[in-house]
Amino acid sequence: MSTLDPETMLNVTEMEVNFGPQHPATHGVLRVILKIDGERVIDAKPIIGYLHRGTEKLFENMNYPQCVPHTDRMDYVAAATNNLGYVEAIEKLMGITNQIPRRAQIIRVMLAELQRISSHLLWLATHAIDLGAMTPFFYTFREREEILDLFEDYCGARLTLNCMKIGGQPYDIDDKWLEKLAKFLSTFDAAVGEYEALLTNNRIWKRRTVGIGVISPEEAIDWGLTGPPLRGSGVNWDLRKALPYEIYGELDFEVPLGRNGDTYDRYLIRMEEMRQSARMLRQCAEKVKETTPGDLKAKISKVVRPPEGEVYHGIEAPKGELGYYVISDGKSQAAYRIHVRPPSFINLQALPAMLRGHLVSDLVALIGTIDIVLGEVDR
Amino acid sequence: MYVERPKTRLTEKFLLLDLFEGLRVTWKNFWRPKVTVEYPEVKLEPSDRFRGMFRFSHERCIACKLCAMACPIDIIYIDVHDEQQEVDGKKKKVKVLDRFDIDVKRCMFCALCEEACPTTPKSIWLTTKTYELSTYDRGELYFNMQELEYWSVKPEFPTLDQIAKRAGLGQQDAIRKIDEGRES
Amino acid sequence: MLLMAVPVDDPMMNWLIWPTIKFVIAFAIVITVVAAFTLVERKVLAYIQVRLGPNRVGPHGLLQFVADPIKLLLKEDIIPSGAQRAAFFIAPMLPLIPAITVFAIIPLGPPPAFEITSINIGILLVLALTSTGVYGMILGGWASNNKFSLMGGLRSAAQMVSYEVPFALSIIGVLMIVGSLDLGKIVAYQEAHLWNVIPQFLGFFIFLVAMIAENNRAPFDLPEAESELVAGFHTEYSGMKFALFFLAEYAAMLVNSCLVVILFFGGWTLGMGGWGITTAVLQQWGWIGAILGGLIFFVKVMFFMVFYLFLRGTFPRYRFDQLMDLGWKWMIPLALVNIAVTGIVVLALNGGGA
Repeated sequence: MSTLDPETMLNVTEMEVNFGPQHPATHGVLRVILKIDGERVIDAKPIIGYLHRGTEKLFENMNYPQCVPHTDRMDYVAAATNNLGYVEAIEKLMGITNQIPRRAQIIRVMLAELQRISSHLLWLATHAIDLGAMTPFFYTFREREEILDLFEDYCGARLTLNCMKIGGQPYDIDDKWLEKLAKFLSTFDAAVGEYEALLTNNRIWKRRTVGIGVISPEEAIDWGLTGPPLRGSGVNWDLRKALPYEIYGELDFEVPLGRNGDTYDRYLIRMEEMRQSARMLRQCAEKVKETTPGDLKAKISKVVRPPEGEVYHGIEAPKGELGYYVISDGKSQAAYRIHVRPPSFINLQALPAMLRGHLVSDLVALIGTIDIVLGEVDR
Repeated sequence: MYVERPKTRLTEKFLLLDLFEGLRVTWKNFWRPKVTVEYPEVKLEPSDRFRGMFRFSHERCIACKLCAMACPIDIIYIDVHDEQQEVDGKKKKVKVLDRFDIDVKRCMFCALCEEACPTTPKSIWLTTKTYELSTYDRGELYFNMQELEYWSVKPEFPTLDQIAKRAGLGQQDAIRKIDEGRES
Repeated sequence: MLLMAVPVDDPMMNWLIWPTIKFVIAFAIVITVVAAFTLVERKVLAYIQVRLGPNRVGPHGLLQFVADPIKLLLKEDIIPSGAQRAAFFIAPMLPLIPAITVFAIIPLGPPPAFEITSINIGILLVLALTSTGVYGMILGGWASNNKFSLMGGLRSAAQMVSYEVPFALSIIGVLMIVGSLDLGKIVAYQEAHLWNVIPQFLGFFIFLVAMIAENNRAPFDLPEAESELVAGFHTEYSGMKFALFFLAEYAAMLVNSCLVVILFFGGWTLGMGGWGITTAVLQQWGWIGAILGGLIFFVKVMFFMVFYLFLRGTFPRYRFDQLMDLGWKWMIPLALVNIAVTGIVVLALNGGGA
């Protein structure tokens, strides 16, 4: 198509533009087809599937314990919560949820909250760098490095953790690990204060995020959003408080809510969630000292064979509600069907609604604020 | 709890205090020690439980094939045959390992095989603190039994004639070749 | 000094040969500083981001600015199909030429050693020359045969043109106080009275914002941001053409930093109100004084260049419509207010009619 032809060049009422799968700002391979009028976006259509690996089909061919490493790779940024959702779903199916030893439960909660902090730090890094602030990326990765060291000391891997087992935990923690955790927590609040000093009051940041991507609470519930996009609009729904699992019922923490449902509120919510996770970690570190070391596994056979039935179990992953729907036929060692409800996939549906009427430059802000990970969206 | 949006006073808006706050953070971090680790001159030591490259111990292995069954990707290839052997004067049926190969290029280092191994201490273990596994040839990453046991902390790059001859040799010749390669 | 050996009133020496020699030296210095600044940028940004910058080439990475141009010269020169060849070829040169020519007018140190020419409309000529840098961007975006490059080029051209107005208006206050357009006389005024930043802090602030926006630097660097849909006018350029665009950007940064120092911070002097190290003092010290003056100027200019880098490392970027809002709705009215207030004060202090 010739760009030198005056008629085609001057006819710019509506242009269809491809925000391609290869782009530094889409957090993966996401393709968005935008219909724009000058700078205003009229419609947006996200196209996914570039990272589909057939995870759910793979699950049908593997034993229940063998599936755990594969769940890591869906939301590769927050692997421990993926593992947690899966093992809890299988334990619910087997009916042994209340037989998990307390020490294992506390360790699971500690790993999940550490993972929540790590995922939110990465969210902050990529969101800030998409909007032009390059330095929070490096500062957050400095803290994230300590968290990854903690995971490496615990289970041997940093990203794809495989740190939970059906029926308990594979490894135990010792005093050295708890010391390292305490050292991390002692500097963490100051670090979050640093990121807030860089961004929260900054007039440029506020101009880029206040009033962008507003969702009303009714719309949020209609779309099925969960996690910070839902709580940003003021709906008080957090699975850790509403349907507590593991030991969340005993922990003392608050769930931050927003009032306006825009990008700035979601940013503030995630920063506050990081602080609350640190608070929970301190409480867990106290509680774990009162349990007996070594008591980590429920008394079940090595061969995992749940009875026939189906179960859905959802947990609060950093990005929203992560759900596993498991159907077992009672006879084989592999599931009949496992379906994953990824939070990013459902939250991504709201992108066109949020983007209508905004400018093209706001697209990167919105993709960042919904916090998608393409591994989870495509599985 | 509702998140509070910070209130900006008029003086802050006009005196640009928020911008100076950001510049102050940046200035402070300019003088902090840098976190770069200058690889490869300086290398970080992985933790004790770090899941790296495999090690295999032939004399501890009881050829139960539990590791091959536990692997989610089926990359452990085991061939076993039974033999009658003289052990302490009695004839016993003993399992002899013919082949214990691991296709490391497809491994995801999940350590399910290490968990499944019933011997104490384990016959296959991943805590070797080795993560530098890159090679120039894809065939290098298919480790047979001898290599799994005898590679030193860093896998060595075999010479071209070793690569050529490995295909047609029996086990003893392969061991001799690797030993020769290490000494030369 | 060498000047003493030559008859002072020889017109060929005074007006043609000496200025040419001095300009060639200034050109060499500027090109070296601009090339070295690429390394300074990477190192300073890295230090802000708690990491080491390039540190492999040479001790602590100091030879990186030599390795980079060599690499860029050896790169394949890709010309997109359908691009207009002549325009594609010329476009990178267009921003660089005025940015370097301006150094014939800007004095980099105390006279008589550093002053190449003394033009009585100095600052006006500088403004006119730096404004012609826009053509390179538009031509570069157009010649690429890429509608995104064209849009990016037009955006950055619109940004530069709309910030020319506050750029020029903010220095009118200075000109009213000093009473002359000649850059040497502006510095001479500042060392006899206060540095202009003190009475003209509003003008200084507007000039600072306008100069950052003129240079397409953060936080106003939307046209060249990577995470935007539109990739900017220099997408299709590779190798040395790309390097020329970047050298032009850094040379423009250097020009603007020099202007800020001369107009508001006293140039090469460290004195105010007749006290301190003024031009007279420097001239008394002969060639040591000349070098000292040049060094003082260099340190001040480097301060502003590093300030550019800190801004880049700290702040997110403005959206394009917010950027234009800021320019037209805030900077221009403020600059007009500055002119009005300065005019009233100057008239009042001079007793009216002076």
